[in-house]
Amino acid sequence: MKGDKPVWEKISMTTRIPELVVSPDHRQVFMFSAATWNRHHIHYSKDAAIREGLPDVVVQRGLIGNFLGRLLTDWVGERGELRKLAWKVTRSAIPGKNIVCRARIKEKFDSEDEKYLICEVTASNEKDEPIASGEAMVVFTNNHGAS
Amino acid sequence: MDTTVSEKILAMIGVEKVRRYEVTQKDIKRFAQAIGETNPIHFDVDYAKSSGYNTVVAPPLFCQMFTFEDVPLEQLPSDGSPIEIDVPIPAQKTVGGGSSYEIFQLVKAGDLITVKSTLKDLFTKEGKSGLLYFVVVETAFSNQHNEPVARETATYIKRV
Repeated sequence: MKGDKPVWEKISMTTRIPELVVSPDHRQVFMFSAATWNRHHIHYSKDAAIREGLPDVVVQRGLIGNFLGRLLTDWVGERGELRKLAWKVTRSAIPGKNIVCRARIKEKFDSEDEKYLICEVTASNEKDEPIASGEAMVVFTNNHGAS
Repeated sequence: MDTTVSEKILAMIGVEKVRRYEVTQKDIKRFAQAIGETNPIHFDVDYAKSSGYNTVVAPPLFCQMFTFEDVPLEQLPSDGSPIEIDVPIPAQKTVGGGSSYEIFQLVKAGDLITVKSTLKDLFTKEGKSGLLYFVVVETAFSNQHNEPVARETATYIKRV
């Protein structure tokens, strides 16, 4: 667990969420395919990917979603949980290149026993072109959030 | 699309497929490694216990591990794409997609996960380079206590 964990009362719309930079290589794409039993050839065969008009083997949509999830769970630590993540992949991401994941707080609200943040999330490539964008809901639990 | 194909697709929409998997510590550890997650809560039982859990817990999107049905290779389309989106459309190239994933509770080692997968919708839109086909699949995950743990609605976009 890295850095200072956010304190609910201090979070505002201007609170900065540290970005997450990842660089998935062919091995990681392979491992994610293996873990999810994804046998689609665009994730392991460069030739097949090129025949489909893609630049190389592509990073799975699911793996990009997990990077966006990590961006938020790394930040909140055990004070909260990711409750919802919706994302769209708009450009192919290929192995060996940096992906920068960023989040911005959009809404903050309470209910009786939970505290919610809605965040906009984006993933960009090394040219700062968007790869994916979406929205996440993070819940701060009273169990972990008070300390 | 001719009428026959449309009827075939209509018959596929809404049909639920069910399967079950037992979650092991190994599954959680390997999924965590695959996504580059290093939090010991996913692979160190003692650490997980010190954080208030009985055993290791999975990362939030862990049920992706069970989204694609592990049918024998010969049942998959020739491009190896998931059986869930194997619908008779004249488009096989993948051009992106989206996902909406809700987490109701974290999966733990020892959970028995029931996966219910349904083709929810199929529609077309005119894209820059021709007709795009949108295939929408919903996958619901519940545990041995019949409690929902996650639900994903995934949209796959295909073109000719």
